[in-house]
Formats: sequence, C-alpha cells, structure tokens
Amino acid sequence: MNNEAATRRPIARSAIASALIPGLGQILLGQRYRGVGILLGFLVMLGTVVWYKDPVWYLSPVLIWLWNIWDAVGLAGGRARSLLLPVLVGLAAAYGIGWQVVEIDFRNADLDRAAAIVRPMAHPDFIQPRRERKQMWVQVQVPCSSEPPTARREEEGKVATVIPDCGVVGETLIVSVNGMWPNTETEVTWRTTIGDLKLVGEGESQMLVVTTDDAGSLTTTIRVPSTALVAAPDPSLPQFHRVYFDQYRPIGGVELSYIGNEVLKGALDTVAMALLATGLAMLFAIPLSFLAAHNLMGGNPITYVIYVAVRTLLNILRSIEAIIVAIVFVVIVGLGPFAGMLALALHSVAALGKLYSEVIEGIDPGPIEAIRATGANWVQTVRYAVIPQIVPPFTAFTIYRWDINVRSATIIGFVGGGGLGFLLVELIRVNNMRGVSAVFIAIAVVVIVLDYFSAKLRERLV
Amino acid sequence: MLRIQNLSKTYPGGTQALKNVSFEVNDGEFLVVIGLSGSGKSTLLRCINRLIDPTEGKVYWDNVDVTAAPPTELRQIRRRIGMVFQQFNLVKRSSVMTNVLSGRLGYVNPWMSLIGLWPQDEKKRALQALGRVGIADKAGERADALSGGQQQRVGIARALMQDPKLILADEPVASLDPVLSHSILQYLEQLNKEGITVICSLHFLDLVHRYATRVVALKDGVKVFEGSAQEIDRAKFKEIYGEEAQEVRAASM
Ligand SMILES: Nc1ncnc2c1ncn2[C@@H]1O[C@H](COP(=O)(O)OP(=O)(O)O)[C@@H](O)[C@H]1O
Ligand SMILES: [Mg+2]
Repeated sequence: MNNEAATRRPIARSAIASALIPGLGQILLGQRYRGVGILLGFLVMLGTVVWYKDPVWYLSPVLIWLWNIWDAVGLAGGRARSLLLPVLVGLAAAYGIGWQVVEIDFRNADLDRAAAIVRPMAHPDFIQPRRERKQMWVQVQVPCSSEPPTARREEEGKVATVIPDCGVVGETLIVSVNGMWPNTETEVTWRTTIGDLKLVGEGESQMLVVTTDDAGSLTTTIRVPSTALVAAPDPSLPQFHRVYFDQYRPIGGVELSYIGNEVLKGALDTVAMALLATGLAMLFAIPLSFLAAHNLMGGNPITYVIYVAVRTLLNILRSIEAIIVAIVFVVIVGLGPFAGMLALALHSVAALGKLYSEVIEGIDPGPIEAIRATGANWVQTVRYAVIPQIVPPFTAFTIYRWDINVRSATIIGFVGGGGLGFLLVELIRVNNMRGVSAVFIAIAVVVIVLDYFSAKLRERLV
Repeated sequence: MLRIQNLSKTYPGGTQALKNVSFEVNDGEFLVVIGLSGSGKSTLLRCINRLIDPTEGKVYWDNVDVTAAPPTELRQIRRRIGMVFQQFNLVKRSSVMTNVLSGRLGYVNPWMSLIGLWPQDEKKRALQALGRVGIADKAGERADALSGGQQQRVGIARALMQDPKLILADEPVASLDPVLSHSILQYLEQLNKEGITVICSLHFLDLVHRYATRVVALKDGVKVFEGSAQEIDRAKFKEIYGEEAQEVRAASM
C-alpha cells in the first residue's frame, strides 16, 4: 500500500512538471539529457511554427507536449516511451513547412510550353551542313536626293537593280537580280547605312525568301523598312542603304554552326578559366598548407596559434560557396570572367590548402631519417625524402580540383563569369533552345572527358 | 674504433631511454644489441650517428668526438656510417635506383643532386650495389612494388653506396619471416667479413648466436650485459628479457 502511494506521487509530480515545462519531469527523474533534449526539441518546433504563422502546424508542438507528459509518466513508472512518435511529428512538420516555403504547385505547369522548350532541344545547334554562299547587293538612296544615282550594280556576271532608284520609308520598290544560281532559295534583306540588318518579309519580322528561275534571276517587291531610319542622325538627309541577295547551297560535309562555334569557344574559356584559377590557388595553397600542417606547427605555442588561425581561415573560406564569392567579386572587380576566376581561386585556395596539409601530415618520417643518415644536407633531404612523398599527391589533388573548378566555372558563368555559363544565360534569354541544348551537351562532354582523364592521371600518380 | 661513454638520453616527454651506457666496439666486430622493445636499442643506434642528440655522454669514432661535431663535419661522419632500418625507410614512390643513389648524397655535388642529375659512374656503382644484393634487375621499379625482403636489400644497397666503415642496423629483420631473416643477415655478415663493422639490434636468440661476435644487452636504458654470444644461454636470455622470454623463444623457433 505504502509502496503504491510512494510511486504514485512521483508520477503525478513528473506529469505536472513536464506539463509546465516540457522535459522538466524527465530532468527531475534524473534523465537530464533526455529532458534537455525534449525541451530544446519543443522550443525549436514551437519557434518554427510561430515563425511561419500557419495554424495547422501548431498541432505538432501540442503533440510533442502531450507525448512529453506521457513520457514523464512512463519514466516515473520506470519505462521510457519510444522517441519515434515525436521524431515523426517533428519530421512531418518540417516537411510540411518546407513544402509551403518552396511553394510546390503543379497547377502552373504547362505541357505545351514544356514541349515548345523541349522539342528544339532534341536538335542541338552545334553543326550544320557545310555550304557555300553566293551574294549580291545593290545600293538604294533613302530618302531621295534631287538627282539619285542609278540603283544598279554589276559584279562577276551578276546584275542587281532597284526601281525606282530611291525611295522613302514605306515606299514599295521593285528589286531584281540575275546571274545567281538557278532554282535556289534566295534571302532578300535590307541593310541600313550603318549595316543594321532589317527583315523585309511578312510584317518586317520574317525573312523574305524568293526562289530564282531557271536562268538564275528573280524579281520581287519590297517596302523600305519602317525602321530604316531610326538610327539616322538626320532622317531627311539622303543616305545609301543596301539590298542584299544571299543564296546558300550545300557542298557536302558539315561544319560548326555559329552557335556551335560559340559553344566551343565557351567550353575552352571555361576550361582555361578553371585552369587559371586552379594554378593561382595552388600558388597560395602550398605555403598555407605548410602552416596548416599539425606535424610541422604543433611543436611550440606560437606556431600552434598560427596553425589554428590558418586552419580556421581555410575552413571558413571553404564553407562559402564559390558562386557567393563570385557575386562579391563581381561587385569589386566588375562583371566578367575575372570575377569568376578570382572566386574560384579563393575557394580553391581553401580546399587545396586543406588537402595539401593533410598530405604533409601524412608524410612518412622514416625516409627522412634514412636520407639524413646518409650525410645528406637539409635541402637534399627535402628533395629526396619529402618532395617525392608530397608532389604526386599534390598533383593528384590539384588535377581533381581543376576538374571540380570546371564544373563550378560553368555555374559561375551565370553571374557574369563568362564561358559556357554566360553563353547559356544569353541563349536562355533569347529563347534559343537549340543553342541551350548544345551548351548542355558541351557541359556534359567537357565534364565527362575531364573526369575520365583526371581519374586516369590521378591513378598513375598515387 | 667506436667508443661510447656514459651515454644518456632523456626525451622531451621525460622518458629516460638511455642511462649512462658505456662500451666499445672494435673495427671488424659484429656487435649485436639485444633488449626488450622499449629498452632503448633504437635510441642507442641513433645516438651513434646523431639522428638523435644524446642528453649526456660522448661518442668517439676513430677518436673523433661525434657528439661535438659541427654540422658539416657531422655530415662527413654520417656518410661513412650506413644505416638499415626495421621498416626499410625507402621512399616508396621513387624508383629502386633513386633510393640506392640517395645513399650517395653525402659525396656528390649537392646542386647536381638537387636537379636529379647523377654522374654515370655513380649510376654504375648503384647497379653494382644492387647486384651485390641480387636485385640488379629491379633497378627501374618503384620501391613499393618490391616484397619486404627485396626492399630491405635495397636498404642494404643504399647503405653500401655510402662506402661505409660502419653499418648500424636497427632490427633489420624484425619485419621479415625467418627464412628471409637469414638471407638479409648473411649479406650483413658478408660485409662484416669484408671489414665493415656492424652494430645490429636483434630479437631472437638463435640469430644472436649465429651472427654476433659480441653482444650488448639493454634493459630499461641500462646496459645489463656485455660479452660474447656464447655467454648468453637461455637463462641469461630470460634474465634480460624477463617474463616475455618464453614468448620470444617460441617465436624464434
Ligand atoms: N621520439 C621519442 N619521444 C619520446 N619518447 C621516445 C621517443 N622515441 C622513443 N621513446 C621512448 O624511449 C624508450 C626507448 O625507445 P626505443 O629506443 O625505441 O627502444 P627500442 O628500440 O629498444 O624498442 C621507450 O620508452 C620509448 O617509448
Ligand atoms: Mg626500436
């Protein structure tokens, strides 16, 4: 009887204590860590749901609070309750809040739009059939002067004419050319005095394409483009514009397209930028790594302080994403590959410094002792016992870092860092999905090829 | 002749590894140092070529005070003292050839050695040294591609490059199995017969009896015995090795 009363009292006491302050009951029962853990978990949960102000989630701290009382009662009776329940509640709340924060909403998804993006991506703009061009042009005056010259030009058996010899904006002109390739599509375009290309097809937004006849001639009408004079300093001043006729025909084989060329250049830029950043980082990381090596610096208090300082600095630098650093550098040195390169270099100094210092810490002292014993001097000992132990792993880590930097460089290009990333942003902006697709492929190829060779090279070094 | 006088070594941590050790080694001897692990054998050998500086006492070699030698002179002393290690202490990533050549660093032009240029006759000498230990064909391989016994032979070839008058061998066969142990010790014995003094630490009684011309025993840094190998019987061995003697005997069979 007495016994029962004695056990019931702590049960009630623990339940009340835990109801007042979650975890207190457990602490009073001697489960200090459990109690503190429950209190912290409860507070974090409460803080989170209050922060996000979504009433639904108030349920979770309440559930944890109830579980905590139940646990205190169980504990007083000598049996702890499973932690599974509060952990599940906590996870559910965390995922729920996360879902809301990310604003997952499939209603906005649009299959047609997706298809419009994905379809051109199946045809990456990288290469095109090799072709040759036949070109002809003729000058035409806009607006008319008092005595306009004849709008007629001859070249290598080709003749191009415009009737009348001059015109004003919007006026219809008859243009004709002969001596071109027969039965071939011909692009007719307008170029202003300063060389701006104007389309003269449907609505001035499409290319006018006319096919030549059996004799290689064509005649068609165009309007002087409405925007022909927008860039002119004085629209009333007569100036010479040009009408161009361009024909293309395949001559067998393929060649890099314009975008393909840009992609190739971007890939090289990216690899070079990563290489430069890695090299620069290596220069700084090598001396720093010696300062961050415990076996060299642990000996006396002063060097130990330097060791701790350098280590801490490297750890902080390493924890900041290169792209964040890139944004900072863009502010400092301006938009362009230089900012991206510096950001990569800074991040790499930290990463390489740490890896190098671990190599130094792993040096086998045996060979050093053996070389000293031969009567070698200090420099010879470093050359024959230390260098052979650190150079191959240093090189391996550097190649590995370069590999990583190439990936980062493509991302950093997004914030104006040049290379493939920058090209990608540009192409997305003008909605050139075939170009985007080409860039994707280039990134994949560069990364895979580099990954393969860096792995092979590293294999041989270690 | 090597004279060791009142040698003591106290490590920074406070461990007294050697306590007032004195003995002499005549030219041409094969002196074996025995003692339990931690008794100070390695410390003693390293004090002789000053890889470790003794706290007190003197080491005289041919009446030159090694313990007082300034750096340049010390390096000249060291280059005539070859050293062989339990863990071989080869540079694993370097070629066998480079490992052997590095035994010659005390002799060659330091600048040339720094850029890795070795005279032809040094390379020939290295091949000869490798030939003497029977592995001339391994010259081009990476050191860590060799087996333990082969690596220790490279270690001996490296010591040979020093044209040594004295070889210090710190438990040269402790990492090898018994058959290989004999083949390695026979190389040292051969060199000893050609006039090189050998100081070697060993663990097994049968090896001590087979190779030693004289024995010094250490116990907790104190010299507890000095005399001929024949004087060491099982009882004496047990005295030096204490309770662990049983184990050691078993292992040596
Ligand atoms: N570098 C060192 N620093 C501190 N104590 C050491 C060092 N080297 C050896 N000792 C200690 O000195 C004692 C003798 O060691 P050692 O000469 O290696 O003995 P042995 O070679 O006979 O095993 C041991 O107690 C060992 O722990
Ligand atoms: Mg030892």
